[in-house]
Amino acid sequence: MKKNLYFEDVEIGDDIGPIKRSVTDEDVIEFVSVREKEITPSRFTSNEVANREGMPEAIVPGPMNIALMSQILTDWSDTVCLLKIDVVFRQTVPHNIDLTFSGIVTDKDETGDSTKLECDVVMENSDGVKLVIGTGVIALPNKP
Amino acid sequence: MLLDLHTHSVASDDSRATVEQYVKWVNVLRRKGKSIDGFVLTEHRQFDHDVDYTSLASDDGIIILKGAELDTDTGHFLVYGISEEITDELDFSDVNMSAQNLVDICDTYGGIAIPAHPGRAGIGFAEYLDSGVTGFETIKSVERLNGSNRPGEGEKAESLIKAKGYLGTGGSDAHIVSAIGICMTSFDKEIKNESDLVQELRNGRFTAVRLES
Repeated sequence: MKKNLYFEDVEIGDDIGPIKRSVTDEDVIEFVSVREKEITPSRFTSNEVANREGMPEAIVPGPMNIALMSQILTDWSDTVCLLKIDVVFRQTVPHNIDLTFSGIVTDKDETGDSTKLECDVVMENSDGVKLVIGTGVIALPNKP
Repeated sequence: MLLDLHTHSVASDDSRATVEQYVKWVNVLRRKGKSIDGFVLTEHRQFDHDVDYTSLASDDGIIILKGAELDTDTGHFLVYGISEEITDELDFSDVNMSAQNLVDICDTYGGIAIPAHPGRAGIGFAEYLDSGVTGFETIKSVERLNGSNRPGEGEKAESLIKAKGYLGTGGSDAHIVSAIGICMTSFDKEIKNESDLVQELRNGRFTAVRLES
């Protein structure tokens, strides 16, 4: 991963990532426990509850997916400032599967008025099915 | 001529791309040597007669046409050549509208309705035909290539096309900027407007293609 990117280094069409990872049961429990000290079984932490609610297995919470989608942008470079992220949940995200996160720079303000970049971000499963898609706006510093 | 026949802008609630961003991205693709002449906006369950992309399109030499993607009792349909008569006759927001009536109304009033992603579970035309739905004798084409297809959906569409002798269109089903143009339809003749599009779709002078790598 390239660190310390500057606005001038980036072109429209540049790829961000990809990053491969999975979200384990333990990851979800850790995430949920930030808000709930004593975790109540839910569709996020219990396959049984998820089954009762019509899902085949426990799923990753939406805010956690948003955080993971943000991470593809913030991990791109230490200099990234994430200004906005907006995602669409296309399918539920199960625990413990291989996920690929990727992004691409889709627009760059070339007027010199700002150092904002617009990016598409995608989370796919191992079959290439897009589970979560979205767009992000980031800023990079100008070269010193 | 290469047109992406299935795209969604922010007018659709599940898209995050503006039309202006699509235009910029088409120019990015062109600078990379890819061929794409334009796209058709097929927003979910709606059609706006008043919105006009003529200026935006002509500035960049890109064809931008308007259609819709409608939910029906027989899956999703892409509709092109939408006239005032068609929107007067049909409630585009009705998620259970009769697909047969949609096809008939389009046939009557100069439009054309084509099953979208026909191999998709729950909202694809093939599943309904498999379950015994009949009719639809005037349908000659379905969406063959869809850029958002999941594993198995393309194969199911191909089986349907082979079994019924349909022709096939191509569209990205883009909901984000960088997805536009992944799948397209190649037309033998130049398309300048929705009427040309309907005519060429009815004449069958097209093939589904993927964006060349």
